[in-house]
Amino acid sequence: MKSIISRVISTLLLLLASSLAVFAAIRVSGGDVTAARMPASASAEDRELFRHQIGLDQPILKQYVTYMGNFVTGDLGNSLTSNAKISTLAGEKIRNSLILGGSSILIVFVVGVPLGMIAALKRNTWIDTGVTSFSVAGMAIPNFWLALLTIYLFASTLHWLPSGGQGGFKSLILPALVLSAEGIALTVRMTRSAMLENIGQDFVRTLRAAGLSERRIYFKHVLRNSLLPIISLAGLRVGQVVGYALVVETIFGWPGVGQILVNGVLRRDYPIIQFFSLLLVIAVTLGNLLASIGYTLANPRLRK
Amino acid sequence: MLMNLLHRARKNKQLVSGSILAAVIVVLGVFGPFLLGDYSSQDLLTGHLPPRTSGYLLGSDALGRDIAARAVVGIRISLFVAISVTAIAVIIGTAIGLTAGYVRGAIDNFITLIVDFIWGFPLILVAVLAAASIGSGLLPVILAVGLVNTVAIARVVRGEVLGLTEKEFIVAAKAGGYSTVRILSKHLLPNIMPVVLVLSSYYVAVAIIAEASLSFVGLGAQPPLPSLGQMVSDGRGFLIMNHWESTVPGVVIFIMVLSVSLIGDGLRDLLDPRLRTAVERASSK
Amino acid sequence: MKQTPLLEIQDLSIGLKGDNIEYDIVRNVNFSINPNEILAIVGESGCGKSLTALSILGLQASPPLRITSGSIKFGDRDLTKLSQEELRSVRGAEIAMIFQDPMSALDPMFTVGTLLKSAIRAHKKVDDATAEKISLESLADAGIEDPRRRLAEYPFQLSGGVSQRVMIALALVNNPKIIIADEPTTALDVTVQAQILERLKDLKKERGMSIMLITHNLGVVASIADRMAVMYTGEIVEIGSVENVFGKPQHPYTNGLLGAVPRLGTGSAELIPIIGRVPQPDNLPSGCTFVDRCGRAVEKCSTQRPELVSQGSVDVRCFNPFK
Repeated sequence: MKSIISRVISTLLLLLASSLAVFAAIRVSGGDVTAARMPASASAEDRELFRHQIGLDQPILKQYVTYMGNFVTGDLGNSLTSNAKISTLAGEKIRNSLILGGSSILIVFVVGVPLGMIAALKRNTWIDTGVTSFSVAGMAIPNFWLALLTIYLFASTLHWLPSGGQGGFKSLILPALVLSAEGIALTVRMTRSAMLENIGQDFVRTLRAAGLSERRIYFKHVLRNSLLPIISLAGLRVGQVVGYALVVETIFGWPGVGQILVNGVLRRDYPIIQFFSLLLVIAVTLGNLLASIGYTLANPRLRK
Repeated sequence: MLMNLLHRARKNKQLVSGSILAAVIVVLGVFGPFLLGDYSSQDLLTGHLPPRTSGYLLGSDALGRDIAARAVVGIRISLFVAISVTAIAVIIGTAIGLTAGYVRGAIDNFITLIVDFIWGFPLILVAVLAAASIGSGLLPVILAVGLVNTVAIARVVRGEVLGLTEKEFIVAAKAGGYSTVRILSKHLLPNIMPVVLVLSSYYVAVAIIAEASLSFVGLGAQPPLPSLGQMVSDGRGFLIMNHWESTVPGVVIFIMVLSVSLIGDGLRDLLDPRLRTAVERASSK
Repeated sequence: MKQTPLLEIQDLSIGLKGDNIEYDIVRNVNFSINPNEILAIVGESGCGKSLTALSILGLQASPPLRITSGSIKFGDRDLTKLSQEELRSVRGAEIAMIFQDPMSALDPMFTVGTLLKSAIRAHKKVDDATAEKISLESLADAGIEDPRRRLAEYPFQLSGGVSQRVMIALALVNNPKIIIADEPTTALDVTVQAQILERLKDLKKERGMSIMLITHNLGVVASIADRMAVMYTGEIVEIGSVENVFGKPQHPYTNGLLGAVPRLGTGSAELIPIIGRVPQPDNLPSGCTFVDRCGRAVEKCSTQRPELVSQGSVDVRCFNPFK
């Protein structure tokens, strides 16, 4: 219990540090903020005035404090391109990304773990070779290409599924699958290798000698021992999903945090970049925290 | 011992197939641009030509540019980013990891703090942030990939060193009065190299995909540089009639990543089954 | 007076089969275990004793290793002919086995109580209360002092001696007729070793069990075994009561083994090693496998393989044994 509390505290500190890092990275940029908002013909003085209005001429730490102060009270600034209040945008974007990301993580483990277990059980048969090759290939396919492929196949040619946008369950299928592809491959490999490693352990022989059935040994004891690395993988998966979601959301036009962030970077919309990258950093950090808590709870050695 | 290693290497299917693919890619990347000529000359009248039209081995894109010529330059870009970044990351990362793991104490705590902090961020996010701060182009990609790779390698090296310093042969070396440099270079380094080798092959693959993904969304290499990711993006609108504009670079990326992965897996099986846990712990990122 | 043996191993051979390799590791082994006795199988590493023990319950690593001939008679069944499913009813219930390294032999993710109950439930349907009662009794019989506390503990919390006792308890829960103990004390401290051995000896009396003890430690044999079999290169070279074999070893190898062990009270202070090395199973000499190291070899030792014959009180496999 104590270790969990200390971990939560250090996570909060980590978040604070991350927010500062993200903030600094963006403000320190050599890129021109004004290019996003002002016509190209604007004069240098006008640009300077604009900067002053936004508060960019203050020392960075002061900017950070101001920003964090606003952040806490709910004032997240406005988009430089559309002038919409970020706080209004945020809700919808977060919800969409959670739907996509959550579905993906679910798919990855519901599909990946059983496949990995089957591959380990049928080791060296064609089933195993098939599953393993599939996962090696799955990790090599660049997800944006896979996305295009699936759009071409299912949307343009077969017209089974929509090619983009957020339009209910049907439009979730392709992006969720594409986002999950590489994760499934990785999970299959890790599960298979963990299961194989544990099957060869001494304790399995003891259980066998005691008369337990192979089925019980495999599904109760070997699996339970293999869960540990799988749980770590789950937490790290959040970070990976966040990264890949940036690309997948953009291709499919899925209106989530990733898509708005990428557009923001392309258009140098600083308030957008600031807030939504922070959001992603929070998501990743929380994911890591959950994974480490999960691991501690699952490992009797750490519980005591 | 070395002969035994080479013999086993030849028998390892993954290593062999991966190396063959990789060799093909490298040859294309290094010599291709010379042979295939100009990648940026446009011919708007010609527009899209399918593969195997004379003069355009893999067809041409919407602007009439030779896809094959662009693809091999794209290979060069990817290889350049991936290999240079990984090479630097290996050198710096190993140095950091060795120091942290061997010296321990306050220095180690400090290094671990920074390393863990950076390691927590997904690569693409770091790259996007880099692009946000310095502007789009190859530079943020290189910085981001380099940073994350360095940190990842430092972490693993540190873990391995911590494990090894407990082992008898290091304790014996210290007791025998060997200098620190000697212990590091002659005893620790050779034991760490296999893990680092396998890990860096994995990260070369990650680097290739990261660079391609970023170029795809527009944040990486800028036109007229024909990054493979960007080529895929350019061809998006033509998937139905002229799909090769996207398919060709996509397949090339796939082959590059596949070959590197196969080599990595083959190396791992070859060098030591024990490595598997260390590498998998680290590569589950 | 001959009793019907509990377990009869006849002409058992176990071989290794891989790409380009095929040879027997255990070769034509014959012995029995009688009710209420402790039989020790002794030999150096690699002589095939552990493999023989594992094969009784079909626990040998089956793709490369397999039983190539012979039978293992238990009651009215031949264990070598049983399927894995049929063997399950024997494992842990009629014949149980305990292993060498207790620290790694217990599933780290489950409590001692859960493991014991699983072993019980693998063979009979009982409710939780009964299972717990049986577990507590077995832990106590294995010599554990606070059984209730141990039920809730995880293997990593146990010391070497306690985890070995838990393994013994695991073996006892279904009241087996035979316990096969593969080097049960090798990984333990010397003081704990003695306690465990004493417990095993008492269990034989209390429960009327037989124990097949695999070991390379002659001291262990001397302390609790009734009969002993000496194995060399996959075959039994001498077998008889511990008194007879220790008192008057007839096979040159046995003689050498006993001479190589430091003993208090005997006059000689010198340790006499056996010269030479153990031949590898894929490269055995024709004739007697001990011939290159034997001080009593005669001409036919190099060409003919000696059979295990009775020499009065013990059986010996030798053309020129000590008399």
